[in-house]
Amino acid sequence: MLLELTAVTKRFGGLLAVREVNLQVQAGELVGIIGPNGAGKTTLFNVISGFLVPEAGEVRVDGRDITGVPSHGIARLGICRTFQIVKPFGNLTVLENVMIGALTPLRSVVDARDEARRVLVRCGLGPWQDVPAKSLPIGLRKRLEVARALATRPRLLLLDEVMAGLNATELKGMVGLIRDLHAGGLTVIVIEHIMAAIMRLCQRIVVLHHGEKIAEGPPDGVSRDPRVIDAYLGEELALT
Amino acid sequence: MVTRYVTQWLPGIFFGLAAATPLVTRDAFFHDTVILILMWGAIAGAWNVAGGYAGQVSLGHAGFFGLGAYSVALLAVRWDLPAWSGMAVGAALSTIAGLIIGYLSNRLRGPYFALATIAFAQVLLIVASRWRELTKGSEGIPVPFRPGFATLGFPSKVSWIYVALGFALAVWAVQTYLEHSRVGYQLAGVREDEDAAQALGIHSRRLKILAVAASAALTSIGGSLWAAYIGFVDPFYVFSIDLSIEFALKAIIGGTGAALGPFLGSLLITSLETYLRAQFSGVRTGFTGIYLIIYGCALIIVVRFFPRGLAGALAVAGRSGAAPVPQPADAA
Repeated sequence: MLLELTAVTKRFGGLLAVREVNLQVQAGELVGIIGPNGAGKTTLFNVISGFLVPEAGEVRVDGRDITGVPSHGIARLGICRTFQIVKPFGNLTVLENVMIGALTPLRSVVDARDEARRVLVRCGLGPWQDVPAKSLPIGLRKRLEVARALATRPRLLLLDEVMAGLNATELKGMVGLIRDLHAGGLTVIVIEHIMAAIMRLCQRIVVLHHGEKIAEGPPDGVSRDPRVIDAYLGEELALT
Repeated sequence: MVTRYVTQWLPGIFFGLAAATPLVTRDAFFHDTVILILMWGAIAGAWNVAGGYAGQVSLGHAGFFGLGAYSVALLAVRWDLPAWSGMAVGAALSTIAGLIIGYLSNRLRGPYFALATIAFAQVLLIVASRWRELTKGSEGIPVPFRPGFATLGFPSKVSWIYVALGFALAVWAVQTYLEHSRVGYQLAGVREDEDAAQALGIHSRRLKILAVAASAALTSIGGSLWAAYIGFVDPFYVFSIDLSIEFALKAIIGGTGAALGPFLGSLLITSLETYLRAQFSGVRTGFTGIYLIIYGCALIIVVRFFPRGLAGALAVAGRSGAAPVPQPADAA
């Protein structure tokens, strides 16, 4: 088991953001986590990636307990995340952004530059490599988040709403990229608020609601689950 | 295109001209100005390691400067030890202080960090001015002049030009390393966005602490050299907030993004200050404080028109002749 969460609970004051969530992800899987706003999706990512320490429960990677390991340590274990609100190194160029990711596994700046160029081409950002990251439009910034994370050569990639705010063309490109990465053997967990794209993309969907896991399974089954329909009731985003 | 070569060769021109000063003139006043430009430039560069590259803006670097200066003076006066050992002791003390201040930078962000560094220098000022048994208090301490290399007792200003130049080159090299090395890129990531850097596997806290400690040690070495050169240490000068602000200003006016920036800032401000002081010195002229006004105006102009400092302005001027950065249209 690449990633295993056991009864993970995270509390903010009186609010239970994540409540006794169990989750297992095997190497090579492409898992989607969905849920309405405030369901605890990002909190769960923050716990896995070491940005938050859970009040209770355990996070295991390859069977090893990593609960409480700081975020940079988690990244070095091969688990890399992106941020929902993108965090580019704004004053640096796109290439430099990705180089900094590549410098985690690599010691040499020259090698990191080569690696970063390869990653940028793969993510379709090649033409923008010398542009300051802050001048990129949002669609490309989302790509940059993915490219930078990829450059760390992760085993498990955690993508936090990388499809939100994209237009139809950009969305198609992003879905294609994630498929491509998964086909290349990478394990990916995708958080998404919008369900349409994720239903087509993932083999397995986990649904969070008010911090609890209310459903899990293949897209077909999940979308027919009455508890899921109930949770999304009143949301303008219909299940498709 | 020509201007681009100018920016590329600017460090060579700058340090080359400094090295050639003794060949050009024997004027001691001019030599003194060159020494101070190099020393203050190097110290501003040392500040830039923390304030620019690591993004930890300190307004208490006079604390490290003073530690270096006092270590040289006290070890020479009280224990008759050579200046180099004072420099080593000062650098060691400043490294420890820098580690603590660097640790604080993880707790206190932005203006709160700056305030904490001011407090640090102020505490040292109070200790140095009140602990009369050790430091002779506010009287200050003359640094005894003993000729020789070990005591940094160089009778000629020409020797001092090369000592200052060596220090300046060392600081310039440290900054250049921070622009092109793995740790430098990682530090840039931490400066730009700490969470993102953490997520990529960078131990941001440790990097910041190390950057502040290195900056502190270099600043302290600058203080030691300055004390040996000037020959007198006054607590109200070496630990003053004015001095801390000057370090920061020289780096900011010159440009924090380039290794040569702080030196350009020092070139502008130190020469301007020296010139204005010489022109308007003496109470009779009625212009004793005018260099402060011009100083302030220079800062406003730079911040308004060259937000990336003199070095940044030169880089932009250099790039304007080259091909524009490609901005491909939406190709997603």
